[in-house]
Formats: sequence, structure tokens, C-alpha cells
Amino acid sequence: MSFEYSVTYCAENNYENPVENAYWQFLIVPENNDTQELISVEIKNSLEAKSAFSQNGFGFQTIRINTSERFQKINFSATFKLKKISFNPFGQIPIFDIPSNYELVKSLNFKVDHEPYLRETKYTALPAGSENLFVFDTSISIFENLQKLNKWIYLFIHFNTGVTHVNTLLEEIINNPEGVCQDFTHLFCALAKANNIPTRYVSGYLHQGNGYFGDSQMHAWAEAYIPQVGWIGFDPTNNLLVNDNHIKVAHGKDYNDCSPLKGVVYSQGANKTSHSVEVQAEQ
Amino acid sequence: MKPEVKKPIFSSYINNPALFDEVFNNDGAAKNVYQKLLDLYGNHSIQDYVQLNNKAKSSFFNQGITFQVYDNKETQEKIFPFDLFPRIIDEDEWEIIERGAIQRSRALNLFLWDIYHDKKIIKDGIVPLDLISSSANYLHQMIGVDPPGGIYNHISGTDIIKHSDGNYYVLEDNIRCPSGVSYVICNRTALKRALFGVFNHYKTHSVTNYAENLLDILESVKPKGVDVPNCVVITPGMYNSAFYEHSYLAKAMGVELVEGRDLFVENDFVYMKTIRGPIKVDVIYRRVDDQYIDPLEFRADSSLGVPGLFAAYIKGNVCLANAPGTGVADDKAIYTYMPKIIKYYLDETPILNNVHTYHCSRPNELKYVLEHIHELVVKPVDEAGGYGISIGNRLSKAEIKVVQEEIKQNPRKYIAQPIMSLSVHPTYIDDSESFEQRHVDLRTFTLLGNKKEFVLKGGLSRVALKKGNLIVNSSQGGGSKDTWVLKK
Repeated sequence: MSFEYSVTYCAENNYENPVENAYWQFLIVPENNDTQELISVEIKNSLEAKSAFSQNGFGFQTIRINTSERFQKINFSATFKLKKISFNPFGQIPIFDIPSNYELVKSLNFKVDHEPYLRETKYTALPAGSENLFVFDTSISIFENLQKLNKWIYLFIHFNTGVTHVNTLLEEIINNPEGVCQDFTHLFCALAKANNIPTRYVSGYLHQGNGYFGDSQMHAWAEAYIPQVGWIGFDPTNNLLVNDNHIKVAHGKDYNDCSPLKGVVYSQGANKTSHSVEVQAEQ
Repeated sequence: MKPEVKKPIFSSYINNPALFDEVFNNDGAAKNVYQKLLDLYGNHSIQDYVQLNNKAKSSFFNQGITFQVYDNKETQEKIFPFDLFPRIIDEDEWEIIERGAIQRSRALNLFLWDIYHDKKIIKDGIVPLDLISSSANYLHQMIGVDPPGGIYNHISGTDIIKHSDGNYYVLEDNIRCPSGVSYVICNRTALKRALFGVFNHYKTHSVTNYAENLLDILESVKPKGVDVPNCVVITPGMYNSAFYEHSYLAKAMGVELVEGRDLFVENDFVYMKTIRGPIKVDVIYRRVDDQYIDPLEFRADSSLGVPGLFAAYIKGNVCLANAPGTGVADDKAIYTYMPKIIKYYLDETPILNNVHTYHCSRPNELKYVLEHIHELVVKPVDEAGGYGISIGNRLSKAEIKVVQEEIKQNPRKYIAQPIMSLSVHPTYIDDSESFEQRHVDLRTFTLLGNKKEFVLKGGLSRVALKKGNLIVNSSQGGGSKDTWVLKK
């Protein structure tokens, strides 16, 4: 079974002083993969500046916009139509050879192959003393442990917007467990990595049900590498395994590799950006 | 009127037998290669020499050859101190240096390819995983990227010393935009102006062919499908300490010198803005560090780079020299593994020696280092230009404590080596108005291209002008000498 979705991403940038020249890079285009297929992309901006597709350093498609006329305000919007192929994450799980899976993740070759997603990063660094917050039970499979971790984080952090920001580190989250999807995901990555499981940060869209409007944002979840299976998505904010409501855009080591909007603006003074996202099922 | 007393040049030269003097034997006789030189101007007086030296110095002023020193308070523009008394390396010794430098560059290039592809050297347990996983210079964006021509370290600067045992040792491999080559060429120009009558008695290799070889190497790594590549040099700008060199090299190669704002990227191709419209750029000799080359991919707070440049690079539409991510092999901790790296990829024994190195990240070695700081040189692994180095036998007890604490705070950041006794070379010292022994090293310049390689026959002999000082970097108050490599 497949669903069609329409995703609309809007951003508005306001600058205190006039801008002569600016570059923006959006990392917002849904990825083409086994479970989703991009059908169409429509990009607009209020200045009618040139836009082009490119890619970031990890191979994900980007939209780049360059302006050369003077402005103080610019609006962007992008609409993506895509087909999501329904899948059952539970259906793919084989019978695990538990002891050999734990042996494998400790082997040098495995650590070398997955180095980027085992390395500690700025946003996935655990503060001293919290490495053992969640220790895997090696009598059950890695997959089961990750499900328990997913639930543990869901219960540990209280979802609350406005407490954290894009630069919040885990130390703050552990001391005061409140935050948004980005914080849930960073903690999931950090604790899975502390148990030798390669884990990556995913940014994307979540379909929250038809008729849902308002200032919805991009969503974040994690993908962990499970021996015998491969990369599996976990959404600790909702205590879910990733399903056909999750539309993936990009992955990276942490938020830093996935930030939806990067800009180089040749201007002085403050600026303000606001984003909104709307996901509609069109089936 | 008092008659002027003329002192012969080396009349008051003190030859300390504990040091390895490159010009004089312990009995005071000159070594073979220097005999002719001393015959030719040994009879001149110190005053004559000073006059010539001043003439040479003014040629640097006139050419505007300056560099900047960074310290906490201010940046200052300085003339690189030049010593007119040249260093001579005979053809047999040079052959060893040249073969050794090429061997290291090739091995490093294969190492870089491997750690950005299959990582066999780590899986085989030769180099620990930690060296890349804890390195800030290991760029994940470069994993699986094939640089044009398969080359990462197009330009290497290898720092070599002659030890008191008479052998050459490598101190460092610099493969993150090494600088200094313009001084080699300017030193030669200044020396020839002042001392042509001496210079022309030796058959010395030219150094002015560096730029044409550099251009040749850059053109050899052009992107696929390009016929005649358009090369440029990108500089961080006139406030950079090596700006003179950037402008010199661009001019000598006959290519444009650009800053980030002179270039733009459209549809993943790079163009240069000109009054006649955009011109496509194919090869960029970049003197801008990785973190600044593209604000959309790396540090967004910098305007030195070109937005979109990295995407153009990974799509294969432009070549960057040196390749992004090359700095991981410039780490001083990797240096320790060079003999193993050479053996692993080339199945050769190293031609040039490595200095024994202790890794503070290894508990046993850390213990040794902390107990023996007074007899070791401690270096941060990721700094260039001689910043942050401490030399044990010059430290007070209090200073040793400070160094110990710093190492304990961040052991991975430090390596330590025995204090090497660098050879000394007679150098004119203004304060004493005479020649004195000063420590000297040699930076060689090696180029690696697609089926091409080149070592500049010459190099930058850097002299520590302060008596007894072992740090020769220009940013630490070092000077330089012209270096003559003799022809067979």
C-alpha cells in the first residue's frame, strides 16, 4: 500500500538592515529511498531570486538560493509531493544471534566501518558521569534494547517547547529533562553510541494526521545500525518505531549536519527567521 | 682620525665542539664544500660583509617581502631576517633528502586515500582508530570522495634537521598549506645581487623553476573533461601572514590571485568574476584552511570562502589543492607512525629518520613524559608555526609544573620528543658584530601530481637567531639562509 503526501515548508527571513547579497542553503527535500519516492518539487521565493539544486557534503539534495538585489525581507516556500511505501518495521526483524551481535559491535572492523556514527560529537557528548544512564542488557537483542532506550527517553524527557534551542547540549537536558524532538534524538544517539551502536541523527517531516494545521516544525529522529538488519529508525519523542508517517530528508552525526537552513548574508545587524511546515496526506 | 680596524670575517668565531658545525670541523678547518667559499671571501672584513648584508636586506624591503607575527596584543609586519652566509648541501646528501621527501609524500598520499576509503591500515591494526576518530581534521564529508588524479597532498613541506650524529631526521610533515617557498626564491635573488662573484664559482641548482613545476602539478590534476584548465590561487587576503607568498606564486605562475568574494558557484561549477564576465575555474591552489573554504558546508561565520565550493568539489567539477581533509595526516601524532605507514603502503624502509616520539595519549608514555619534561620537547599535535612548544631544559620548575598540568588536562593533544641537537651554521649576529653558531633546520618543498612529482632543489634553511634557541619558525623570531644544492 502506498500513500501520497504533500509537504509544504515555508520560511520568512527579516533583516534589520538592507542586505546586498545572500546565499541560502535549504536541506528540506525528502530523500528518495526504499520507502519514499519524490514526485515533484515546487520552489518559490518572494524576490524571485534564482534557485538551484545541489548537495551537501553527505550527498543529500539541497536547494540553494542566491540574491543579488537589495532587500530586507524574503519569504520562501517549497512544496514536495511524494509517495510513501507502507512497510511494517516488525516484519523485517529476523531471529537474532544475540551473543555474536554483541561480539560484532565490539570488533575493530565494525568500529572502523561505522566510525562517523560512533564518534562523540558536540551535541551527542554525554557529560561526565552519565555514560551509564542506560546500559544494555546483553541477554536480549540489540533491537529490544534500543526499543527500551526509545521508551526510556520518551519517559525521561518531558516534551516542552521553548525551554531548549538549537544549541542546547546534553548536559542541560540531563540536568533538566525538558525539550523537543532534537533533544530527544541527541540523547538517544548519545546513549546508543555509549553502548557501541552506530546511531545517526535524522531530520524530516512527520505526518500528524489530516486536518492538522498551525506552526508545525520539522521533526527529528534517530537511526541505529542493527547487525543482521541495517539502519532502523527510532522516534523517541513519540516512543515509536519509524513508520510511514515519517518522511526522511537527511541524516548526519547530529543536528549540525542536518540544519534545514544555512545562510551567508552580507549585511550587518540582527535577523529573524521563522519556519513552518505542513504535511497533508492526499491518498 | 682613528684608523679603521678591519677584522677578518671569522676571526672571532667560537667553534663549540659540543655542537655539530656544518662549516667547520672541530680543528677549525673548513669542510670541503665550503672551502672555496671561504677562500673567496674569507679575506674580506666583517665591515665588508655588513655592507653586503645591508644591501641584501634592502632588496627585501624594496620587494615588500614581509610577514606578520601574531601575539596576544597586536599583529606586526616584519621583514624576514636574512643571513647572507649560505648553506651548501652537496649532491650526495641532497639525493638522500630528495628521495626521502618523495617517499614520505607518496606514502602520506596513499595513507590519505586509504583512510577516506577502505581504512585498511586501521583494520590491519597498524594505525589506531583513535587517530582519526579523535581528529578534528578528519572530514567525514571526504569519505568515499575521489580527488582528481587521486592526489590529496599536492604540496608538502617537510621539516628536516641534521642531528649531531650527522644524519638527517624529519621533524614534521606539513601538508596543510605549508608556506615559505617564496622566501627560498627571494633569498636566492638577494644573495645573487649581493654576492654574485661568489655564487658563480659554484654549480648550484636553480630554485626559480618552482612556480612552473607547481603550475604543471596543478594542471595535472584538472577535473575530468577539462582540456586546458584555468588555475587560480585563493588567499584569505592581505592580512594573512603569508599574503606576500600567495601573490608571488600567482604572479610567477601567471594565474589570478583571488579572494573568496572574487569567485562564485553556479550549478556546482566555480566561476571567477571579471570585467568581461564570468570565467570558469578548474583548479584552485587554496591557501585557506578547510574550515573556511565554504561557509555553507563548514564554518558559516566566515566570509573567506566561497559558498557552494565544496559541493562543486565533490561533484568533481573543480580541484582543490591540497584536498580538503588532508590535515588529518599533518597531525603530529600521525608522524610517529610514518615509518610504519611507509612500510605498509610502499614496502620500503624509510630513507629519512623519524625522531622518537612519545604519545601522551598512551598511559605508559604519559608517565614517562610527565617525569622527564626537563629533557623533552613537548608539542601540541595540532598547532603549526612553533606555537605552544615547550623545551624542557629551558623551563623553570614552575614552568614545568604548568606544562605537566596542561598535558594531564588533555593528553591526546600532546606528543613529546627528545631534545634533538640541531646542527649549527655560522650566522652573522648584529649585537656582537661577528659570526656565531646558530641552530638551523631545512624545510623542503615536495610536489605530487598525477604521475608527476618534484622536489625543489633547495629549501628554506631557517636559523634560530637567539643564542641556543632550537625553534626556528619565522613566527618565533627565526631568520633564514639561502640554501645551495650543488650539481653533480
